[in-house]
Amino acid sequence: MQAYAAKLIDLIELKAENIARQWAADVMKHNRTPSYSSLPQDRVIERGVEFYRLFRQMSLADIPYEAAKTFSWKYAKECYREKIPLQEAVYALILLRRNLWLYAEFQGVFVTALEKQQAVESLNRTILMYDYVSYQVIEKYQELIKDDVDKKLGSIRMMMNNPIGGIKNIYKSGLMGILLLGACILTYYYHATLGTGVIFTHLFYIPIILASIWWGKKGIFVAIFLAGLILISHTLFLKTVPFVDDMIRALMFLVIGGVIGWLRGGIKKIEDLYKATI
Amino acid sequence: MLASLKLLDLMADKSESMANQWAKDVVKNPKTPYYHNSDQDKIIPQAAEFYQKLSRVYTDKDPFTAIQGFMGKFAEARFKEKVPLHEALYSIILMRRNIWLYAEFQAIFITIIEQHQALDSQLRTILMFDYITYAFTEKYWELMNLEFARKNKK
Repeated sequence: MQAYAAKLIDLIELKAENIARQWAADVMKHNRTPSYSSLPQDRVIERGVEFYRLFRQMSLADIPYEAAKTFSWKYAKECYREKIPLQEAVYALILLRRNLWLYAEFQGVFVTALEKQQAVESLNRTILMYDYVSYQVIEKYQELIKDDVDKKLGSIRMMMNNPIGGIKNIYKSGLMGILLLGACILTYYYHATLGTGVIFTHLFYIPIILASIWWGKKGIFVAIFLAGLILISHTLFLKTVPFVDDMIRALMFLVIGGVIGWLRGGIKKIEDLYKATI
Repeated sequence: MLASLKLLDLMADKSESMANQWAKDVVKNPKTPYYHNSDQDKIIPQAAEFYQKLSRVYTDKDPFTAIQGFMGKFAEARFKEKVPLHEALYSIILMRRNIWLYAEFQAIFITIIEQHQALDSQLRTILMFDYITYAFTEKYWELMNLEFARKNKK
């Protein structure tokens, strides 16, 4: 470690709280960091002290970049929790670095010509530290957004990956074909053979719901097909039975298919948003 | 301020060479993996233009407004290219480092007086890049939120 850097580090270590206070006063009234004005001053100062102490930790570390992570991640998490916009979080870091330098200048650490040369080197160190921290903070901040979205849309993702939603399209069409064929057979059996229209139509909700989940609004065609099926079948085979019950059933098929298709459309948008976000 | 003029001239005259040097750096830096497979012919003009524009605002009394203007467009372009924010920002950090490395390589600060000027130039450069970082992050963040809101509205 060079002597000039050590000089600056000693000053920072000794005066961490003073510099942090100076920074807090600056950041809490700066027009590029308005979110800081509402934070408790003690908390802001504490954050500043942590940053200035990091300077020594980084100077002593074999890999300074790794040493910076503890501070950077904590800083990003706190800023994110406090809903501080990213550009303000970054500008607060800039002010942390700037105040360090202002304090060093103020204290007359670099006075002579030789010390002025040393100042350039010391300045480089503070900038390097800031470069690492700002990179890590931005990276972490984005990661936190992703985690947050991940958590909030976890159920959507589960739905995307579950056995019903995840079936391949060819199997969906095949299964739907079988279900519709089954519906036709059941309708014929109940209407033509038994001459009744009770209960069995509840089973029609299975293909209607599945079609709406799989194909969204297009799934309504399955509901239309089944509604048409019971109405035509009723006209052909149940001439003596009142028509109104099957009309209500047909209408309910369309309502259920339409509502689920519409909801699925909304979920699809959230899925797309989720995929775009991550 | 005047001491910065030497660096400023270098930036304006040698923007292409600086951009070349930056490109070599950014395509292999572990913190900028997005750029690793980038076409150098595409990224060099971006950096050269950046240096040119920066050299024009260097001595402005209010450089922040000018920086906000050109960095807004720079952020929009990087956003469209889907460069992750932290990588885009690190590529800007590398641009700053390369100004200084190029100046050192060209040995433009040799005498004692010039060494004094070096500190002044460096402070001015840092101030410019502080503004650049803020303006870039602000615009990129705004674009991210707009994109999020737009998709949410659909």
